[in-house]
Amino acid sequence: MTERSHFYWQPLLLLTILGFFTLSSSIAQAARPQFEIEIRGHLFYPSELTIPANIKVKLIVHNQDPTPEEFESYELNREKVIMGGQKAVIFIGPLAPGVYPFFGEFNPKTAQGKIVAQGLGESFRAAE
Amino acid sequence: MLLNSVIIILREVLEAALLLSILMAMTRFLQLRFRWLFFALMVGFSGAIFYGTQLAAISSAYEGVGQELLNAVLQTLAYGLLIIITVLMIVNHYKVGISESLLQVAMATAVAATVTHEGSEIFIYLSALRYQPEAFSSVLCGALLGVGIGFSIGALLYYLLLSFPRRHALLVTCVLLTLVGGAMYLQVARELIQADWLPAEAPLWDTSWLLPEDSITGQLLYALIGYEATPSPLEVFIYLVSMLLMAVLLLITWFVHRKNKVPHVVQLAG
Repeated sequence: MTERSHFYWQPLLLLTILGFFTLSSSIAQAARPQFEIEIRGHLFYPSELTIPANIKVKLIVHNQDPTPEEFESYELNREKVIMGGQKAVIFIGPLAPGVYPFFGEFNPKTAQGKIVAQGLGESFRAAE
Repeated sequence: MLLNSVIIILREVLEAALLLSILMAMTRFLQLRFRWLFFALMVGFSGAIFYGTQLAAISSAYEGVGQELLNAVLQTLAYGLLIIITVLMIVNHYKVGISESLLQVAMATAVAATVTHEGSEIFIYLSALRYQPEAFSSVLCGALLGVGIGFSIGALLYYLLLSFPRRHALLVTCVLLTLVGGAMYLQVARELIQADWLPAEAPLWDTSWLLPEDSITGQLLYALIGYEATPSPLEVFIYLVSMLLMAVLLLITWFVHRKNKVPHVVQLAG
């Protein structure tokens, strides 16, 4: 084994990493039903949002406060920082029917809410 | 307010502190200098402040998923660097002095990427104090406690690793870094699912009744091995593949380089 034997690993590694990332970034975006939530005074409006179950929806969170907030939900596996006065796009679902709490991590005492997924996917899609 | 800021800061610090302590222990084992750490932290802190101040613009890029994509890029970079680091670590173990500078650059870049990612959130959280001067002392106090706890856990891991004999330390750090690598790539998957670049699916299982993600143990395991109570099949698949890929590359490197081991006596005579 020569001293240089390890050098052929570097291009191979680079390729693997690049390949991995290209694989991850296959774009498949269709039009999603859209829902909006506002943050005002460290509170969510509405604090309870009903969405159709079993399909993916686009949630737009509009932070009207001057302070940043982090939309966080362990149940939804979602986490996103939203700067003051900014809108954030968060895709959620498809969810099984049920209740999924979320909260504002920076102000968890007041900023609490929940997503209610209802098994009415068909009627919601018809209304679009 | 105080407890909340402890938790927020601790969550972010913990991930960086665990990576940092493993790499610092490695630096000691390989008898390298700690200078890379200085550069890594300087670049990382600057990056965090830049990311934090530019977040509004980053977020609205790519149809509102710029934040997810940039995080995914930073985590992919860190994952790739972890592979390079562990491979060079094994090579160095068997033949001292090979690609030491590349190893240090890789460690510095990995730490800088992680600090940028985790630090930006801390910066944003603390920047809110501008609007809430009445919360200043309790948030700052909580932040210091969070940093303190995070670094204490990091220090604990560092000294635990140093207590291993050199031969076992290599295996232990490789296993730990492979777990950290899997956790990092799992986060990439999560970001891309959130951005709708990867399909979302129903969770494969739900262990939140057994170990909630917001418990202390849950948070610690999240930082170290990427614990998630309700992972989707795709996430589990990506997690396992990213760890398997890393483990296979490390095994091949070990297999190729273990023959290079020169007995100490011969080395002296030569």
